[in-house]
Amino acid sequence: MDFLIMVGARLLEAMFLVGILGSLGVLLVSFVEDAETLFDMEDKGHS
Amino acid sequence: MLTFISYWRAAAIVLNDLASSAFYACGIAEQAVGKSAPWFIVGVMLFSFTVRAVYVESCSMFVRGGVYRVVKEALGGTLAKLSVSALMFDYVLTGPISGVSAGQYIVGLLNEVMVTADAHGWIPRAVHNIFHGTPQFNVNWTSVVFALAVTIYYWWENIKGIHESSEKALWVMQITTVMVVMLLGWSGFTLLKNGFQHVPLPSPGNLHFTSESLGFLHHRFPGQSLPQTFGVLGILIAFGHSVLAMSGEESLAQVNRELAHPKLKNLKRTAIVIALYSFIFTGLTALLAVMLIPDSVRVPVYKDNLIAGLAMYMYGPELMRLIFRGFVVVVGFLILSGAVNTAIIGSNGVLNRVSEDGVLADWFRLPHRKYGTSFRIINLIVGLQLFTIIASRGDVYALGEAYAFGVIWSFAFKGLAMLVLRFKYKGERGWKVPLNFHIAGYEIPFGMASVTMVLLAVALVNLFTKSVATVSGVTFSAVFFVIFTLSEYANRKKHAHGQQQNDQFQLLQRDTVERESLNLHPGNILVPVRDYNTLIHLHWALEKIDTREQDVVVMSARISRFGAAAYDLVPEQIFSDYEQTLFTRAVAVAESFGKKVSLLVVPAGDVWAAIVQTANNLESSAVVAGVSSKMTPPEQAFNLGRAWEALPEPKRQFVFQVVYPDSHVDSFRIGPHSPSMKDEDVLLLHRLWLNITREEGLDKLHHHEILREALTRFARDYGARDRDDILRELRQLNAADAAEPGRGSANPPPPPVVQRESDDGPPANRSS
Repeated sequence: MDFLIMVGARLLEAMFLVGILGSLGVLLVSFVEDAETLFDMEDKGHS
Repeated sequence: MLTFISYWRAAAIVLNDLASSAFYACGIAEQAVGKSAPWFIVGVMLFSFTVRAVYVESCSMFVRGGVYRVVKEALGGTLAKLSVSALMFDYVLTGPISGVSAGQYIVGLLNEVMVTADAHGWIPRAVHNIFHGTPQFNVNWTSVVFALAVTIYYWWENIKGIHESSEKALWVMQITTVMVVMLLGWSGFTLLKNGFQHVPLPSPGNLHFTSESLGFLHHRFPGQSLPQTFGVLGILIAFGHSVLAMSGEESLAQVNRELAHPKLKNLKRTAIVIALYSFIFTGLTALLAVMLIPDSVRVPVYKDNLIAGLAMYMYGPELMRLIFRGFVVVVGFLILSGAVNTAIIGSNGVLNRVSEDGVLADWFRLPHRKYGTSFRIINLIVGLQLFTIIASRGDVYALGEAYAFGVIWSFAFKGLAMLVLRFKYKGERGWKVPLNFHIAGYEIPFGMASVTMVLLAVALVNLFTKSVATVSGVTFSAVFFVIFTLSEYANRKKHAHGQQQNDQFQLLQRDTVERESLNLHPGNILVPVRDYNTLIHLHWALEKIDTREQDVVVMSARISRFGAAAYDLVPEQIFSDYEQTLFTRAVAVAESFGKKVSLLVVPAGDVWAAIVQTANNLESSAVVAGVSSKMTPPEQAFNLGRAWEALPEPKRQFVFQVVYPDSHVDSFRIGPHSPSMKDEDVLLLHRLWLNITREEGLDKLHHHEILREALTRFARDYGARDRDDILRELRQLNAADAAEPGRGSANPPPPPVVQRESDDGPPANRSS
């Protein structure tokens, strides 16, 4: 049982680590696009 | 009328939920993982940028792109019901945790004021004796009372309608922004003056879990230090305890439906605003709280009102700090109350969406008689929230732990579904989560897969570390799942075919169609609709028209049987299931553009008469129709022109535009107008003018004066001896015209009130 828990834990750790690294990539790439969108705020919606 | 909101309003609604987490997330996280909690909050807020990207992609695919719709498309109905059950758990808890947290801030301040007043001898001795010391409110139960009051208030606001509540959300965020600027500025000054405490780095060695924060794992591995045993797992557990800081992203999908044109651009703007704002507010406030509030009081005294504690440890006189704390409490009360509002709006949106798919009985969606809102769904949600508030007894930590279950599982389902859709749905997307690699002709959505992996890992680990959340969340979700399944079964039996359900509309009856009573401006565009499968002309009109400048009225003529007077029809006869389906589709088109439309059903004996009468009453500048399956556009214009002739005075001209399936448009002018003249007619007129102006005293003659004289003589001759000759010659002329290429003899001659012309779009609103 403990072995299974250990395997499960390692699996979760691997998922988390790979996911965080990939998410960091998403974050960096989307920052560029976000900046473009932010500089294109001239036709603001009226409230 | 179907209206839409700006991205500022949309961002305000979402932020009322998302940014309000700043008031309690760090306190809960620090109790669970120790002093390094702020780093995890910052990490979660950074990660929320990527979760936001997943939501933008889903909303670019589906206007109503919430968890339910997306999971259903990707993973099927059963998992969709499960995901929406988890989401409902999230929403039902958002209200109570926000309401109770607001109460904690208020009661904390009141008790502090009592202590200060007692220290100065301002509390009468008799009162002091009654309370056996300084009078103090019971923090948790008084918070419960506040939470109940706020929830009931916003229940009533939502019964009245979303537009009003979005205005309040915007106002709340404006005040919150003032507080955030003051908080960050003053904290920066304090850091310079007083220095700060070190915030331990988020390494396994710095994590201090309690037996409560390890949940089931504590029972499995008693006495072991899990962070040291597993390393990264400890980080993952701590991340899981901080994930509630990004609760509220789902509200983005719910407000997307309400977003004004241009929808995708405004959605992106909303997403950027909420992500930046919540990162700055929630992330930085968490760090500052640990840096500035001494360890001895931070958790023991201020764990449930951390920002109030931050205000008390600023650099400056005590009175100023107390005043600022009062301001923090007021803002906290407002934004946390706003979160209660957003929870009601969001869950109302989610349940409306699932009931459209027949997963919740139609009974829930029936609109309020006066306000047109789905009051039964609102009542259900608020009922559950009130129960949760009382059951929690004002314990923010317990509420927060349970809350995280709904937050993370709805995100995990969403991420997984969007990942599956990358392979399953190859259609057009407005936007994609970045980091997509192309290998051997296949697209590998690495970015989407990464975000989903983190969400799933956190959701799974939370199952084991949050025992209260797991038990309560699984129970709640199971109950909702059973309700959805039974409702769906009952609906399938009722509707036999299990087809998609329609939107519910609130009917406002009027004896006559009046522009003023419909709040329309002159020069509006009337779009008659009949077949819900051919709304290409509505697409075309909404694409061309800025509805902020010019109103669009979608009209259905309900043809009553011969002899049935319009006023004899009851609402169900005027607005049948067919009209409901028709308007549901029309609303979906309007939603996809984010442009407002007014919906109108007109009972009539003749469709052409109904259209011209309505256009005349509404002072429309154009009528935009689709191509009829029974007649050509000139025939449609002919019928409309004839109906216009039969209208009593006063009557207005308008342009009739017929939109072909390929978006090509034929335009006709309805009403008296200058006739289109052939080149040879113009030439003849000009030659006459040249000759006549050579005569003495006629050198200043105009073309139109020759035309007037010619027509006057023509009318005189027609009314006298030459009538037969004139008619014979006109028949010959008409036959010759009909024989010309491009003039089919099947087409009836256009009546004098109709003129065909080319046009690129509906006429602009000249009256505005």
